[in-house]
Amino acid sequence: MAPLQKRALTGLVFGVVWVVAIIVVFIIKGGVGTFNEDLGFRLIVNGLWIGGLIFYGILMLTLRKQSQVDERDRLILGRAPVVQLWAVIFSLVIWMIVLTESYWDQGIPPIFMYLVFMSTLIVSAVAQSIGILIGYWRIGRND
Amino acid sequence: MTKVKNRIRRLRFDHDEMTQEELASRAGCTRQTIIALEQVKYVPSITLAFQIARAFGVTLEDVFQNEETR
Repeated sequence: MAPLQKRALTGLVFGVVWVVAIIVVFIIKGGVGTFNEDLGFRLIVNGLWIGGLIFYGILMLTLRKQSQVDERDRLILGRAPVVQLWAVIFSLVIWMIVLTESYWDQGIPPIFMYLVFMSTLIVSAVAQSIGILIGYWRIGRND
Repeated sequence: MTKVKNRIRRLRFDHDEMTQEELASRAGCTRQTIIALEQVKYVPSITLAFQIARAFGVTLEDVFQNEETR
Protein backbone atom coordinates (compact mmCIF):
# COMPACT_ATOMS: atom_id res chain seq x y z
CA MET A 1 0.00 0.00 0.00
CA ALA A 2 1.42 3.40 -1.02
CA PRO A 3 2.10 5.92 1.78
CA LEU A 4 -0.54 8.29 0.39
CA GLN A 5 -3.05 5.41 0.22
CA LYS A 6 -2.32 4.54 3.87
CA ARG A 7 -2.87 8.15 4.88
CA ALA A 8 -6.12 8.32 2.91
CA LEU A 9 -7.34 5.17 4.67
CA THR A 10 -6.35 6.67 8.02
CA GLY A 11 -8.17 9.85 7.01
CA LEU A 12 -11.33 7.92 6.12
CA VAL A 13 -11.34 5.94 9.38
CA PHE A 14 -10.67 9.12 11.34
CA GLY A 15 -13.36 10.94 9.35
CA VAL A 16 -16.01 8.37 10.26
CA VAL A 17 -15.05 8.58 13.96
CA TRP A 18 -14.95 12.38 13.72
CA VAL A 19 -18.41 12.70 12.18
CA VAL A 20 -19.94 10.18 14.60
CA ALA A 21 -18.35 12.02 17.56
CA ILE A 22 -19.83 15.37 16.45
CA ILE A 23 -23.27 13.82 15.86
CA VAL A 24 -23.19 12.06 19.26
CA VAL A 25 -22.24 15.35 20.99
CA PHE A 26 -25.15 17.04 19.22
CA ILE A 27 -27.59 14.33 20.30
CA ILE A 28 -26.35 14.24 23.92
CA LYS A 29 -26.29 18.03 24.32
CA GLY A 30 -29.76 18.64 22.92
CA GLY A 31 -29.51 19.50 19.24
CA VAL A 32 -29.47 22.72 17.25
CA GLY A 33 -31.65 24.70 19.69
CA THR A 34 -29.17 24.18 22.54
CA PHE A 35 -26.23 24.78 20.18
CA ASN A 36 -27.62 28.24 19.51
CA GLU A 37 -27.83 29.11 23.21
CA ASP A 38 -25.11 27.14 25.01
CA LEU A 39 -21.59 28.57 24.66
CA GLY A 40 -20.01 25.48 26.27
CA PHE A 41 -21.68 23.24 23.72
CA ARG A 42 -20.45 25.43 20.86
CA LEU A 43 -16.91 25.33 22.23
CA ILE A 44 -16.96 21.52 22.37
CA VAL A 45 -18.21 21.29 18.77
CA ASN A 46 -15.73 23.94 17.60
CA GLY A 47 -12.92 22.05 19.30
CA LEU A 48 -13.90 18.80 17.61
CA TRP A 49 -14.38 20.50 14.26
CA ILE A 50 -11.18 22.57 14.19
CA GLY A 51 -9.18 19.73 15.79
CA GLY A 52 -10.33 17.38 13.04
CA LEU A 53 -9.43 19.85 10.30
CA ILE A 54 -5.96 20.34 11.80
CA PHE A 55 -5.52 16.55 11.90
CA TYR A 56 -6.43 16.34 8.19
CA GLY A 57 -4.09 19.20 7.37
CA ILE A 58 -1.19 17.49 9.12
CA LEU A 59 -2.10 14.11 7.59
CA MET A 60 -2.01 15.35 3.99
CA LEU A 61 0.38 18.30 3.99
CA THR A 62 3.26 16.57 5.77
CA LEU A 63 3.27 13.75 3.23
CA ARG A 64 3.50 16.04 0.20
CA LYS A 65 6.80 17.40 1.48
CA GLN A 66 8.42 13.98 1.63
CA SER A 67 9.88 11.93 -1.20
CA GLN A 68 7.25 9.22 -0.57
CA VAL A 69 4.88 10.76 -3.12
CA ASP A 70 5.71 10.18 -6.78
CA GLU A 71 4.02 11.07 -10.09
CA ARG A 72 1.40 8.30 -9.78
CA ASP A 73 0.40 9.51 -6.31
CA ARG A 74 0.29 13.13 -7.51
CA LEU A 75 -1.93 12.08 -10.42
CA ILE A 76 -4.37 10.44 -7.98
CA LEU A 77 -4.13 13.39 -5.59
CA GLY A 78 -4.92 15.74 -8.47
CA ARG A 79 -8.11 13.85 -9.33
CA ALA A 80 -9.44 13.65 -5.75
CA PRO A 81 -10.97 17.18 -5.87
CA VAL A 82 -13.56 15.86 -8.35
CA VAL A 83 -14.93 13.59 -5.61
CA GLN A 84 -14.68 16.46 -3.11
CA LEU A 85 -16.66 18.74 -5.42
CA TRP A 86 -19.47 16.22 -5.94
CA ALA A 87 -19.62 15.40 -2.22
CA VAL A 88 -19.84 19.10 -1.29
CA ILE A 89 -22.52 19.77 -3.93
CA PHE A 90 -24.49 16.73 -2.74
CA SER A 91 -24.28 17.81 0.93
CA LEU A 92 -25.38 21.36 0.04
CA VAL A 93 -28.34 20.02 -1.94
CA ILE A 94 -29.37 17.87 1.04
CA TRP A 95 -29.05 20.86 3.40
CA MET A 96 -31.06 23.06 1.02
CA ILE A 97 -33.91 20.58 0.67
CA VAL A 98 -34.09 19.69 4.39
CA LEU A 99 -33.87 23.30 5.61
CA THR A 100 -36.28 24.66 3.03
CA GLU A 101 -38.87 21.98 3.77
CA SER A 102 -38.44 22.19 7.56
CA TYR A 103 -38.56 25.99 7.84
CA TRP A 104 -40.73 26.89 4.86
CA ASP A 105 -43.05 29.12 6.89
CA GLN A 106 -40.79 30.43 9.69
CA GLY A 107 -37.58 31.28 7.82
CA ILE A 108 -34.31 29.42 8.33
CA PRO A 109 -32.56 30.25 11.68
CA PRO A 110 -29.16 31.93 11.10
CA ILE A 111 -27.34 29.30 13.18
CA PHE A 112 -27.79 26.88 10.27
CA MET A 113 -25.44 29.04 8.17
CA TYR A 114 -22.73 28.09 10.65
CA LEU A 115 -23.66 24.40 10.61
CA VAL A 116 -23.81 24.28 6.81
CA PHE A 117 -20.33 25.83 6.61
CA MET A 118 -18.98 23.45 9.25
CA SER A 119 -20.45 20.37 7.57
CA THR A 120 -19.18 21.48 4.15
CA LEU A 121 -15.58 21.56 5.39
CA ILE A 122 -16.03 18.17 7.10
CA VAL A 123 -17.50 16.63 3.94
CA SER A 124 -14.71 18.14 1.85
CA ALA A 125 -11.98 16.74 4.13
CA VAL A 126 -13.47 13.23 4.32
CA ALA A 127 -14.24 13.22 0.57
CA GLN A 128 -10.59 13.93 -0.22
CA SER A 129 -9.63 10.67 1.48
CA ILE A 130 -12.41 8.84 -0.37
CA GLY A 131 -11.29 10.44 -3.66
CA ILE A 132 -7.70 9.27 -3.13
CA LEU A 133 -8.84 5.72 -2.30
CA ILE A 134 -11.10 5.66 -5.38
CA GLY A 135 -8.10 6.87 -7.43
CA TYR A 136 -5.94 3.95 -6.27
CA TRP A 137 -8.78 1.53 -6.86
CA ARG A 138 -9.35 2.82 -10.41
CA ILE A 139 -5.67 2.89 -11.33
CA GLY A 140 -5.34 -0.69 -10.08
CA ARG A 141 -8.21 -1.95 -12.23
CA ASN A 142 -6.06 -1.77 -15.37
CA ASP A 143 -8.78 -0.24 -17.55
CA MET B 1 -5.72 1.21 -29.47
CA THR B 2 -2.19 0.96 -28.12
CA LYS B 3 -0.87 -0.58 -24.94
CA VAL B 4 2.48 0.20 -23.37
CA LYS B 5 4.16 -2.98 -22.19
CA ASN B 6 7.47 -3.19 -20.37
CA ARG B 7 10.31 -5.55 -19.51
CA ILE B 8 10.97 -4.21 -16.03
CA ARG B 9 10.60 -7.58 -14.29
CA ARG B 10 12.97 -9.22 -16.79
CA LEU B 11 15.50 -6.39 -16.53
CA ARG B 12 15.47 -6.58 -12.73
CA PHE B 13 16.20 -10.28 -13.03
CA ASP B 14 19.07 -9.57 -15.45
CA HIS B 15 20.51 -7.04 -13.02
CA ASP B 16 21.23 -9.54 -10.24
CA GLU B 17 17.59 -9.66 -9.17
CA MET B 18 17.49 -5.95 -8.40
CA THR B 19 14.78 -5.34 -5.82
CA GLN B 20 11.73 -3.21 -6.55
CA GLU B 21 12.79 -0.95 -3.70
CA GLU B 22 16.24 -0.42 -5.23
CA LEU B 23 14.81 0.32 -8.67
CA ALA B 24 12.29 2.72 -7.14
CA SER B 25 15.08 4.49 -5.30
CA ARG B 26 17.19 4.79 -8.47
CA ALA B 27 14.25 5.91 -10.64
CA GLY B 28 12.88 8.34 -8.06
CA CYS B 29 9.47 6.78 -7.51
CA THR B 30 7.76 4.58 -4.92
CA ARG B 31 7.92 0.77 -4.83
CA GLN B 32 4.15 0.70 -5.35
CA THR B 33 4.60 2.43 -8.72
CA ILE B 34 7.16 -0.19 -9.78
CA ILE B 35 4.65 -2.91 -8.80
CA ALA B 36 1.91 -1.14 -10.82
CA LEU B 37 4.28 -0.83 -13.80
CA GLU B 38 5.25 -4.51 -13.70
CA GLN B 39 1.58 -5.46 -13.63
CA VAL B 40 0.99 -3.08 -16.58
CA LYS B 41 -1.55 -1.18 -14.50
CA TYR B 42 0.13 2.17 -14.94
CA VAL B 43 1.76 3.98 -17.86
CA PRO B 44 4.62 6.18 -16.62
CA SER B 45 5.41 9.71 -17.69
CA ILE B 46 8.21 10.10 -20.22
CA THR B 47 10.46 11.44 -17.43
CA LEU B 48 9.95 8.39 -15.22
CA ALA B 49 10.32 6.09 -18.23
CA PHE B 50 13.73 7.62 -18.98
CA GLN B 51 14.75 7.37 -15.31
CA ILE B 52 13.86 3.67 -15.24
CA ALA B 53 15.80 3.04 -18.46
CA ARG B 54 18.76 4.94 -17.01
CA ALA B 55 18.57 2.87 -13.81
CA PHE B 56 19.10 -0.24 -15.91
CA GLY B 57 21.64 1.43 -18.23
CA VAL B 58 19.57 0.67 -21.34
CA THR B 59 17.55 2.66 -23.87
CA LEU B 60 13.90 3.54 -23.47
CA GLU B 61 12.87 1.02 -26.15
CA ASP B 62 14.65 -1.75 -24.28
CA VAL B 63 12.30 -1.21 -21.35
CA PHE B 64 9.03 -0.06 -22.92
CA GLN B 65 7.24 -1.30 -26.01
CA ASN B 66 4.22 0.26 -27.61
CA GLU B 67 1.94 -2.59 -28.61
CA GLU B 68 -0.99 -2.28 -30.99
CA THR B 69 -4.16 -3.95 -29.70
CA ARG B 70 -7.72 -4.29 -31.03
